[in-house]
Amino acid sequence: MGDLTKVTIDFQSSHLLFPIIIGCVLAVLGLAIVIRERSRIAVSGDHWRNIFSQMNKFQFFGTLALTLAYFSLMVPVGDYWPNTGLGFLLCSIPFVFLAGLQFMHTRTARSVLILALVAVCVPSLIWWLFTEIFFLTLP
Amino acid sequence: MTFTRRLILSLAAATVLSASSYAAVAQELPRNVRLVIGSKSTGGDTYQNSAIVAEALAEKLGINVKVDAVGATEAFKALDRDSRGTTLMIFHDQSYLGNLYGVQGYSNPFEGYKVGPTVAINPGNAYLVPKTSKYQSMDDIFAAAKAGEKVRVAIQPGGVSEIGFSAMKNAAKVLSPGSEANIVAVNTGSQSDKNQTMWDDLSDVINGSIQANEQFTQLPEDDRKAMRFVWITARPATLQQAPAQGMGNTTRDQMLKFADPETKVPLNDSENFTFDKEFFFLYNQDMDDAIVAQIDTALSEIYAAGEIQKRQKEAFFIPNFLPSAEAQAHLLAKRSTYEQVIKDITSN
Amino acid sequence: MPFFEFITPLFLLLIIGGTFVGIIFGAIPGMTATMAVAVCLPLTYPLGLNNGLALLLGLYVGGISGGLVPAILLNIPGTPSSITTTFDGYPMTQRGEGEKALKIGICASLAGGIISLIALYLFAPALADFAIRFSYVEKFLIILFALSVMGALSANLLIGIFSGFLGIFISLIGTYDISSGGNGKHRLIPPGLEYWLDSGFSLLPVLIGIFGLSAILQEAENGMPLGLSRDKVRIGKSSKFSFSVFKGQALNVLRSSGIGTFVGILPGVGGSAASILAYTNAKTFSKNPENFGKGEPAGIIASESGNNGLTGGALVPLLSLGIPGDSTTALLIGAFTLQGIQVGPLFIGNNPDTWNAMIFAMLIANVAMFIMMFYAIRYVALIVTIPKHILFPIILMMCVIGAYTINYGIMFDVWTLLIFGLFGWLALKIRLEIAPFIIGFILGPSAEVYFVKSLESFGDLTIFFTKSWIAVLLWVLILGSIAGSVFINRRASQAE
Repeated sequence: MGDLTKVTIDFQSSHLLFPIIIGCVLAVLGLAIVIRERSRIAVSGDHWRNIFSQMNKFQFFGTLALTLAYFSLMVPVGDYWPNTGLGFLLCSIPFVFLAGLQFMHTRTARSVLILALVAVCVPSLIWWLFTEIFFLTLP
Repeated sequence: MTFTRRLILSLAAATVLSASSYAAVAQELPRNVRLVIGSKSTGGDTYQNSAIVAEALAEKLGINVKVDAVGATEAFKALDRDSRGTTLMIFHDQSYLGNLYGVQGYSNPFEGYKVGPTVAINPGNAYLVPKTSKYQSMDDIFAAAKAGEKVRVAIQPGGVSEIGFSAMKNAAKVLSPGSEANIVAVNTGSQSDKNQTMWDDLSDVINGSIQANEQFTQLPEDDRKAMRFVWITARPATLQQAPAQGMGNTTRDQMLKFADPETKVPLNDSENFTFDKEFFFLYNQDMDDAIVAQIDTALSEIYAAGEIQKRQKEAFFIPNFLPSAEAQAHLLAKRSTYEQVIKDITSN
Repeated sequence: MPFFEFITPLFLLLIIGGTFVGIIFGAIPGMTATMAVAVCLPLTYPLGLNNGLALLLGLYVGGISGGLVPAILLNIPGTPSSITTTFDGYPMTQRGEGEKALKIGICASLAGGIISLIALYLFAPALADFAIRFSYVEKFLIILFALSVMGALSANLLIGIFSGFLGIFISLIGTYDISSGGNGKHRLIPPGLEYWLDSGFSLLPVLIGIFGLSAILQEAENGMPLGLSRDKVRIGKSSKFSFSVFKGQALNVLRSSGIGTFVGILPGVGGSAASILAYTNAKTFSKNPENFGKGEPAGIIASESGNNGLTGGALVPLLSLGIPGDSTTALLIGAFTLQGIQVGPLFIGNNPDTWNAMIFAMLIANVAMFIMMFYAIRYVALIVTIPKHILFPIILMMCVIGAYTINYGIMFDVWTLLIFGLFGWLALKIRLEIAPFIIGFILGPSAEVYFVKSLESFGDLTIFFTKSWIAVLLWVLILGSIAGSVFINRRASQAE
């Protein structure tokens, strides 16, 4: 009895022990879910078609594309003025404006103007606060 | 017409001028410098040291220096990305010890990077036993190992915390070949984990520091938390420079008893092993030598002025400025000593 | 009274200012109390020890408390420790009870802060001595107990537990961290991604990605709605706050604050575990556990008194062992050493003045936090009335700042935000459960270290049951919690 419960852990390979245990549990649980939900999984194609047909594609993919561009440009732009956080500022202004424009319901001249004002002021204020006052590193 | 031409000419001249002056500026540190450090903690010794140096450097050169605690692997990555001097790094012996111990993510800093000046030493690296331990000294520990008794030492593997342990093993081998097998590592993490292994009776000796463990040595013997120093790894010359009142209730003279030459951990037949945790700059491989020289000059002026030493001593650091070339030679020699120690105990 | 001569106008001003800035940091998604303290740490050197600590402790209390604002109003936890506040806080906001939920949270925060402060003041050394009886084994069991809430939080037990384990699995990606006791080796990294993933995914970007960005994607998918109308926030039928909400909650408040305090005392268990454990407990012992997660005030009370209980608790090991109880107090060590003051078992005896100053500063900070937040909150709650097309891009921008700065400037953390934003959106579609997932993700790394280290040190599986009476007691709690969640689940499926 006593020997059955004894274990020796080799420190050099101990980084794999826990991931293997969790991986096995996951596999068992995953299998159980697949078996129990097989009928639902079989019709998952419809589920996704449904999602995509009802989706506001312009806003969803627009948001994704804008975010991708925003994240990708920040560092290269910031690299022109290293360690000033300007990459963040110069990318945030158009991002906030374009994302806001895309989410807007009715684009009147007035609401676009307000948005533009916000898009310039808020990022600038935030940038000033974090780089000048709190001395944090931004891209 | 002439007016326009003159305007264009002067504009062009101005452009050339500013471009050339920009080129001249490019050989200096830029206005905004990011100083990454090899530790993720902003409360630890690496951060404090770097903050003191960054502040002095910024004031001296009239630039902004921002210290970012990104951790070793990220710091090296950041250094790799930029050779303009916008990113500098400060770290300590871990940078090459990690590589010697084969930790993933550590390359040889003497090959992929430029090693810059040293700035300070943390003399605190120490080994402790429970106050009630039967081991009164390192000699007792080596004797026990020789007698076939297992001595368990709690360390954080892969660097500064392990090097003293490797030295103990090496010393045991020097004193009595074969006895090094009785000095075994208890691999654990932070200081609190190391202390905890002592209290849980999972280790006989722990790695610690003067700063973090001194107060535990002042507790009465019946307190299970009470500890006692057995070894301080610093060079005697380093410890001599510490304030005479020492730290807490332990004076410098008391500390010296636990360090070389009073406490002996042999490196070979003639020398004792010592280890000082030294903080130094690391640069991108391709960074301009003019910037290296600029930092060297600025630091030597700062150290000549003498203010920075006060700040460092206040936080129990030993000022230790060596310009790049000297620092490199010194650290390389240090590295090869430790490389030999690690090789000796792992070969057989 | 020479005893209190550290109280100067500057001292008071620093506490109040610190608390105010802390609240702002806590309230911005992605900015944490730790960040606030880190940013202000260099300022404390010229201030001197007592004044410096006044500022930092104000930031600490404010930062932990401010996290409830975005958690309740926007369903984005401002700090990892307010994650459980979203479970009941946001449903209340959706019902138009945002202001009420905020006030409940603020009162609970105050209670948690004060109770833990009392514990700190009266019992610090004794509590620390008790805490060091917790070895790897007991710490693992505590984490296991916190993990057992996964079941109770799942709508579907099987899928919920699967999600939780998935969270643990993903948290293990990267390196088995040397500084917490691992061997520093990589695992679970897909080939070719070592450069990016060697440190794994950081908690905070994952959190704000899953909660913040995925919510924005969700809204974009449906077409952006307009903001809530002002009236709905202010008047909503039952939205009037009164202290009667706390009737019958005294035990909950005490228990949750106690748990928060105790988790703070245990070095290494981690701050986020405090509110999760408090929430687990409140749900286990509640008379109507099925209301949890649907806007139950008791859930907010447990979560917020738990995470503010942490503030006093985490100072216990710091001041009586020299060991920080969480990541924020780790920075306070820096403040002490900057001034050349040692922290360790002799600290309180050697520095009675500083000790009193700290206790007093914490007290003022808690009171200041309460007054500032309680009376300003009605205006803060109006955030939800800002048109979404303006609010969402700005939230996303703030998330970027939070993600980028949490590890002092690592771009991969910003990409993590996007990866987990998409993951959160996808999870909703395939019915993975977010709450258990995130709890698994938060607790996974400590569960691993303590589990593996227990076996490595003791070499016997039975050690988990035989180590000490504390271990046995923890097993009783764990089994109770599991039985509780099975019971809730069965009752819920019968009701259907």
